[in-house]
Amino acid sequence: MLKYTLHRLLTGLITVFFIATITFAAMHLVPGDPISGAKAMSPEIRANLERKYGLDQPVLHQYKVYLTNIVKGDFGISYTQQNRSVNDIIRDHFPVSATLGVLAILIAAFGGVIFGSLTALFRNKAPDHLIMFLVILGISVPSFVFAALGQYGVTELNRFTGKDILPVGGWGTLSHMLLPSLVLGLGTMAFLVRLMRSSILEVMNLDYVRTAKAKGLSPMRIFLGHKLRNAVLPVITVLGPAIAAITTGGFVVESVFAIPGLGRYFVQAVQQLDYTVIMGLTVFYGSFLVFMVIAVDIIYGLIDPRISVAKRSAV
Amino acid sequence: MKNATNHRTKETLLEVSDLRVEFDTYGGIVKAVRGVSFEVARGETLAIVGESGCGKSVTVQSLMGLIPMPPGRITSGFVKLKGQDILGVSLEKANQFRGKEIGMIFQDPMTSLNPTMTVGKQIAETVRVHDGVSADEGRKRAIELLELVQIPEAKSRVDHYPFQFSGGMRQRVMIAMAIACKPSVLIADEPTTALDVTIQAQILRLLRELQRERDMAIILITHDLGVVAQMADKVAVMYAGQIVESGTVDEIFYQSGHPYTLGLRSAMPENDEEKSKVLIPIEGAPPDLFNPPVGCSYFERCPNAMKICGRENPALFNVSSPEHLSRCWLQVPRRAQPGGGGMRKSLRHTLNTADAADAAAETAAEGRVTFFEQPSAPFRGDESGMAP
Repeated sequence: MLKYTLHRLLTGLITVFFIATITFAAMHLVPGDPISGAKAMSPEIRANLERKYGLDQPVLHQYKVYLTNIVKGDFGISYTQQNRSVNDIIRDHFPVSATLGVLAILIAAFGGVIFGSLTALFRNKAPDHLIMFLVILGISVPSFVFAALGQYGVTELNRFTGKDILPVGGWGTLSHMLLPSLVLGLGTMAFLVRLMRSSILEVMNLDYVRTAKAKGLSPMRIFLGHKLRNAVLPVITVLGPAIAAITTGGFVVESVFAIPGLGRYFVQAVQQLDYTVIMGLTVFYGSFLVFMVIAVDIIYGLIDPRISVAKRSAV
Repeated sequence: MKNATNHRTKETLLEVSDLRVEFDTYGGIVKAVRGVSFEVARGETLAIVGESGCGKSVTVQSLMGLIPMPPGRITSGFVKLKGQDILGVSLEKANQFRGKEIGMIFQDPMTSLNPTMTVGKQIAETVRVHDGVSADEGRKRAIELLELVQIPEAKSRVDHYPFQFSGGMRQRVMIAMAIACKPSVLIADEPTTALDVTIQAQILRLLRELQRERDMAIILITHDLGVVAQMADKVAVMYAGQIVESGTVDEIFYQSGHPYTLGLRSAMPENDEEKSKVLIPIEGAPPDLFNPPVGCSYFERCPNAMKICGRENPALFNVSSPEHLSRCWLQVPRRAQPGGGGMRKSLRHTLNTADAADAAAETAAEGRVTFFEQPSAPFRGDESGMAP
């Protein structure tokens, strides 16, 4: 297992290297640069600034400096925000985005498994139809609509009760996190409900479930011991991509709820062509995602013995 | 070969009477089992044979409560286990005998075990549910059971997952699981169909040993007459959802009283090179169970069919002994048979005898009758021949 993990981490590193290179190339292909902003400036100031940030150097040289700094863990200083390093930005704002993302994933995963199982258990009965209707809504309605609706609902609720039951925006306590993470996780949850439903329905008619019945086990025991664990495998497989969807989707939700997450800085940086911030955040997000996918694979191995053992002997 | 008569006096463990099962499908109602009755006594092996789709699996699965309802439906009949009704009982009641009084093993050991649970836990589960023992005790019992079904290094194998076992080993695990609570009846639904011949012989030998040790009744579902010859005391031949012939294994093989049984035997390969012959298949296909025929279900394929066979389904008639029954008009009781005493002749006995002519004239005055020769004796799997 250790060998397998190391192997996966190494390939992950190579992926991150490609992400860094492609971002660098793409950014330099975009016309304009961080210095040509709103204000007109004299060629002398411009030359000075270019010298200061090393933009007068050949592109290949810049690439080399950029890579060496990344290896050292230094993403550089922002072009547009005075005296703020990319590392600072990440340190200050990533924990917020990560908390939001993790909560959203947890809500999506548990909600998906629970509601998916319910629909399968009540197949073709009222609860199944109701949940599947909501699922279609959840998949087709974009998250900013849910965000606005959620805020509206909370405002009305607060006004109706005359108390601040839930804050409408901002960040800080768990009550701040509840609504945004629910909104953020909703789409993924709807997707997972569908997946879980079909997965349970598939497992239900398998031979080993019949064996379990023939052994005289109670329906609950059959469900927990034999159906759930096997049915949850496909859900875990898609968790990796789901994390990607949630972290990128987070930008929108963060801005609707005025959450000081990384998303805002990312969007700003792209608008201003803030080279270091774009590259720093892309590489950071890229490595985060790669790491999460590896983590999901390892969890998968823990749940499905066929995989962990096969990998142990194969790799 | 065990002597079936030894078991005749024993108590009846399981009694199935007039079981009828239907399935609702898009194409209509399939009458899968149409009035099946049989009995099994302690220590006895009943083999149910027949081709695919004849209803043998549905029969045993419905008495275990394993057919999905809907679309399945039991329309009549009762099943008694030690005198108690077990057909159509509540799930709680069913779970008191499933795995405890009746163990069951299935055809495909590759898919019948849960791939994400160690075999030890799967075996222990049966014991824990029925005997209420602790996890540790369950594990201990699982190891003992694995040893009992002759899995080497049971102590370490108990923590392995099914995919780490071969097909034969998995079937042993299935057997261990099914007999964990010392059931009085073991249902084996084609236990060796998915295994190769040497492994098949080992598994059958294991089943026989366990049966002897525990005085367990076995209901063996198979379409392999070689397995029947090797294992069974009694045989029930099923065709199109009905038992068409039943009797002791000797009666079925040597005094076949139904054209279908004879057809099966003619279609069976010989192990003996000198005797080897061209196999004679049974022409045609079984009837459509959406709309079963009014008359005998074998009428369309029967070389001995008479007019009455197409009109009316025969009852089960006695053939050579009170327990040898055949659902065939050729076995109809004849009124004035000297010394017959209600006992019918096997088809072999009627061959080319005066009796035969009488029978033909009497039972089928309006139809054509052809008598058939019994094929040579089937391969009897004796111990030395089958043991690896």
